[in-house]
Amino acid sequence: MIRFDHMTVTYSEQSSPVLRDVDLLVEEGELVLVVGPTGAGKSTFLGTVNGLVPHFSGGTLAGRVTVGGRDTRAHRPRDLADLVGVVSQDPLAGFVTDTVEEELAYGMEQLAIAPDVMRKRVEETLDLLGVADLRDRPLHQLSGGQQQRVAIGAVLTTHPRVLVLDEPTSALDPTAAEEVLATITRLVHDLGVTVLLAEHRLERVVQYADRIVEIHRNGRVTYGPPALVLATSAVAPPVVELGRLAGWEPLPLSIRDARRSARHLRQRLPAEGREPVRGRTGGTPVLRARNVVVRYGPTVAVGGVEVELDAGRVTALMGRNGSGKSSLLWALQGSGPRHAGTVTVDAPGRPGGLDPARLPAGEARRLVGLIPQTPTDLLYLDTVAAECRQADLEAAGAGDDRSSGVPALQLLEELAPGIDPLAHPRDLSEGQRLALVLAIQLTAAPPVLLLDEPTRGLDYRSKEHLGAVLGRLAAGGRSVVVATHDVEFAAKVADRVIVMAAGDLVADGSAVDILTASPAYAPQVAKILAPAHYLTVDQVATALRSTSP
Amino acid sequence: MPRNLHPVAWWIWALGLAAAVSRTTNPVLLGLVLAVLGLVVANRRSEAPWARAFKYYMFLALTVVAIRVVFRSVFGGDISTTMMHVWFRLPSVPLPSWAAGVQLGGPVTAEGTFSALYDGMMLGCMLACVGAANALANPKRALRVLPGALYELGVAVVVALTVAPQLVESVQRVHRARKLRGRSGLGWHALREIAIPVLQDALERSLRLAAAMDSRGYGRTGAAPTPVRRLTAGLMVTGMCGLCLGTFGLLDASTSRTVALPALVTGTVVSVAGLALGGRRVRRSRYRPDPWSGPEWGVVLSGLAPLVVLWSGVGSSLIGLNPSTFPLTWPSLPVVPALAVLVAALPAVISPPPFRAIDPSRCAAVTARPNRSEGADTGSGRLEVPA
Amino acid sequence: MTQLRLSRREEPRPVAAVVLRATSGPVVMLAALIGLVAFLWPFAVAPGAFSDTTLAPWLFAAVLVVVVAVVLAEMSHGGIDSKAVAMLGVLSAIGAALRPLGAGTAGIETVFFTLIIAGRVYGPAFGFILGCTTLMASALITGGIGPWLPYQMFASAWIGLVAGLLPSARGRVEVALLAAYGVAAGYLYGFLINLSSWPFTVDPGSTLSFVPGAPLTLNLHRYLLYYGATSLGWDTGRAITNVVCILLVGPAMLATFRRAARRAAFRSAPEFSAPRL
Repeated sequence: MIRFDHMTVTYSEQSSPVLRDVDLLVEEGELVLVVGPTGAGKSTFLGTVNGLVPHFSGGTLAGRVTVGGRDTRAHRPRDLADLVGVVSQDPLAGFVTDTVEEELAYGMEQLAIAPDVMRKRVEETLDLLGVADLRDRPLHQLSGGQQQRVAIGAVLTTHPRVLVLDEPTSALDPTAAEEVLATITRLVHDLGVTVLLAEHRLERVVQYADRIVEIHRNGRVTYGPPALVLATSAVAPPVVELGRLAGWEPLPLSIRDARRSARHLRQRLPAEGREPVRGRTGGTPVLRARNVVVRYGPTVAVGGVEVELDAGRVTALMGRNGSGKSSLLWALQGSGPRHAGTVTVDAPGRPGGLDPARLPAGEARRLVGLIPQTPTDLLYLDTVAAECRQADLEAAGAGDDRSSGVPALQLLEELAPGIDPLAHPRDLSEGQRLALVLAIQLTAAPPVLLLDEPTRGLDYRSKEHLGAVLGRLAAGGRSVVVATHDVEFAAKVADRVIVMAAGDLVADGSAVDILTASPAYAPQVAKILAPAHYLTVDQVATALRSTSP
Repeated sequence: MPRNLHPVAWWIWALGLAAAVSRTTNPVLLGLVLAVLGLVVANRRSEAPWARAFKYYMFLALTVVAIRVVFRSVFGGDISTTMMHVWFRLPSVPLPSWAAGVQLGGPVTAEGTFSALYDGMMLGCMLACVGAANALANPKRALRVLPGALYELGVAVVVALTVAPQLVESVQRVHRARKLRGRSGLGWHALREIAIPVLQDALERSLRLAAAMDSRGYGRTGAAPTPVRRLTAGLMVTGMCGLCLGTFGLLDASTSRTVALPALVTGTVVSVAGLALGGRRVRRSRYRPDPWSGPEWGVVLSGLAPLVVLWSGVGSSLIGLNPSTFPLTWPSLPVVPALAVLVAALPAVISPPPFRAIDPSRCAAVTARPNRSEGADTGSGRLEVPA
Repeated sequence: MTQLRLSRREEPRPVAAVVLRATSGPVVMLAALIGLVAFLWPFAVAPGAFSDTTLAPWLFAAVLVVVVAVVLAEMSHGGIDSKAVAMLGVLSAIGAALRPLGAGTAGIETVFFTLIIAGRVYGPAFGFILGCTTLMASALITGGIGPWLPYQMFASAWIGLVAGLLPSARGRVEVALLAAYGVAAGYLYGFLINLSSWPFTVDPGSTLSFVPGAPLTLNLHRYLLYYGATSLGWDTGRAITNVVCILLVGPAMLATFRRAARRAAFRSAPEFSAPRL
């Protein structure tokens, strides 16, 4: 269906190619997973399928790509629109119209499909994706999962034979991501569509893949059946890493297969995992929140939450979209609304503690730092160095000695080494941008640090790195709170897990207790090794080392 | 069956009525027009936000009337008031020499005030007609009638309408995030700190949108063959020459009628032909096009009826349509024009009722939805609808 | 696709997003002439010529609709790149979303400042189209379609077009140039838009009103007094807004727009070559 014929892609400003000598054939009806570290060229690879690379992006394409017999050299993306459907990470950014029905029809209008056919296909697609009740709704009011399903539907109406999805679930919570992935697998099985899918969180999709394309940092690719490629790949889901660690053959890709292979391992391991990162005993509480209430009109976002945050610990705040996580974080920081309750943060020389909401913004950030969901909202200068200088000025602004005194640029170098200070902040990778904003917030040296969904768009390596950074910050005596959907990430970094639902705390306890208690919040390792209480592959490795003679 | 009437039908109806109004300053007739407009708008507007526009146009109309009357009273030029009824005298202020010829203050006469009032009412009534069209016609649907040659323009406007509410959210989000860096308050600094992130976001969004549009077949239009392109360009230049000749011709008394109007008409026709030919390069279809059937014809004809009657002068005298204010007389109601205006009220009955179920926020582009996005946990501050 | 192109190289001047072709010259020139008459006719109309003050604004509004349509069609002849269309849409949305913020408060009119900077960076044709789409989107959002719309679209389109034709300059000189242009554009826009409604709004019996067929000096005198009495303060607000915005945010916005232009690589030709083995 898709033939890459010794394809090499080079962008005009760069000396070395992004992709080198890609030579592979994707058969009709396959689901091909595209994996690789961020920045390795996954988007470029997907872009070559419908000619966006190089027609849209510029650059040079050597070799040839043919889709359904059409050569992308002669066919521009628009000429392939009837053959290849493309869905991007952020569905909202790709919508041309503003209601569901019009968006579904847009592609067909461009292809000049007859009105009666359009009408029929729109109805079919609404049913296929289960969004018929949303037909008149404005797109920007839909939930993320609904938006992504509409975006998929909008390309399906032209009946493409190839579907290209570039990290379609990266902005979604686990439930919404499941919905979208279920939709995609159904399309493969019911309609025989060929699917190319790039995805960070492999644990969700690897079991559905027929083949995997792994893109390496040097631009070379490996292509083959999942078990074969993942045996050596740089990125792998926990289930595969555990399989590699235990030396299972064939490599399991699903929990079910892994549990079958794990019978022996479960017997060898002690029932309780020793927790290497969880040696930090809980410190004294630095932030106390009593009966915090946040409302938006008649909707109660946070309904009387009581929570204490201890120094030196990482707390994961979990819960589905709209459960009030963000609202709680903003209320704790003092910048967001808080309609009732008290928040007190310990401050040196203030025996009763201070309420950040009552302080000027510049003072509040010295007590509680918050990294919002879109960290770029905080950036407005045109180089990393300028942002850092500005951050130093802001930290020095209040003029007392409670700031860290460490320049932001130095903090940044510690958090993410090797960032060019003259780079434009928007040109950094997601992980680097996060590090920059983190460095800016750390100049104020807040004892409490809150992060709202920091793992969005990060690959395994960046998440690993972020986890280590957060661990170091906590070890330095800070209280760190991470709101996240990412169970695997929480399993790696958290000492304590709080689960919110409908504005209330519904569970609060040590990470091991909470994350092994329910299947919804259990990481893959815990599912495989239950009833033994292990959360991460590292814990298993440590335990194995200590038990083996 | 409820459906939305074709927006062009509403516009023709309203503009027909406006053109008819331009022939008369009879306050009774104008009052009748306002009543007709009010009736139709009240009966046939939807719940969409633009449907509220009529009220603002009524304010605008009142403002125009007020400006007319106030300017006439304050800067009135009635030198000789011998035959007039002077109500009172404003203190006359002597003006410096550079303002020679302008009279500030002086007598305020009944004749002058009524004359200004009638003229103002006529203009206000025309504005009200435009307001009725704004309230009744769906502007997004109206965009669909743009000729093919302006296809890109239409797409850009559609994109703008789609993106505008997201930008408002983006501004709120960035404004809130500033506090996290310890920056609060609104000063000139705020402008930069809010504008730049929002702008960068918006520009990045535009690039992603462009990629999506390309992938979905935007601009999949064959380039017209060279002869057609040359012909199109030729028609457009010729048309513009005609329009140019026409507009300049209007300025001169001798050519005003003989040259100007024919040139304007020809220029318009040729330009439109050029647009139509240029639009043929765009090949695309329309999803659920607005039908044009009986009710549309009915609405159009009912709007054209007063136009024809008032411009042809059937059944009324010039005095009947434009009552004298010097000397002041009671305006009478000319029967035939009044009936014609009443015909224009028919759409209140003959046009289909609009959908009542339209979600008002569906089209609420800039109507603020205060801070609801703060409650959502979704990406980029987007709104999560509570189930 | 956002991560596709990463470059910090400073380039002299990005390519215009929409090309103003030489063949469009005659149409643009004719449009300028027609616009001149449509706005300035009260000063030029001869005694006894067409002077229906009620009808004229409508007639010229209709003519301007055709003129604007023809110029836009001419500029977009052969299609506008999807990147340019998306950028037009997004920037119009910014203008349209900003507009109600300032409406009614001392002439704070934020549309022109975006328009001027975008026209400067993306070229005259882009500026012209952006002027039209911004005002149109704004009118559609607020229900403000009326006979004034063609005048507003035409005037703001020219503001955008001329911004794209300003002489080349860099750094502070460029910002000063744009700020000066912002003042001029702010006043000129107000002067012209008020002129378009002047014969219509002011009662002929008033001594500030348009006198059909009277000599140019009389009408100009009367109009200037009318303008000074009613809208000078408002337009000063607009001019000040333009200057302050351009001086404060202009440099950062110019940099942002130029960066976006580089990343978009408007009309960059894709290259293909034989496989490198």
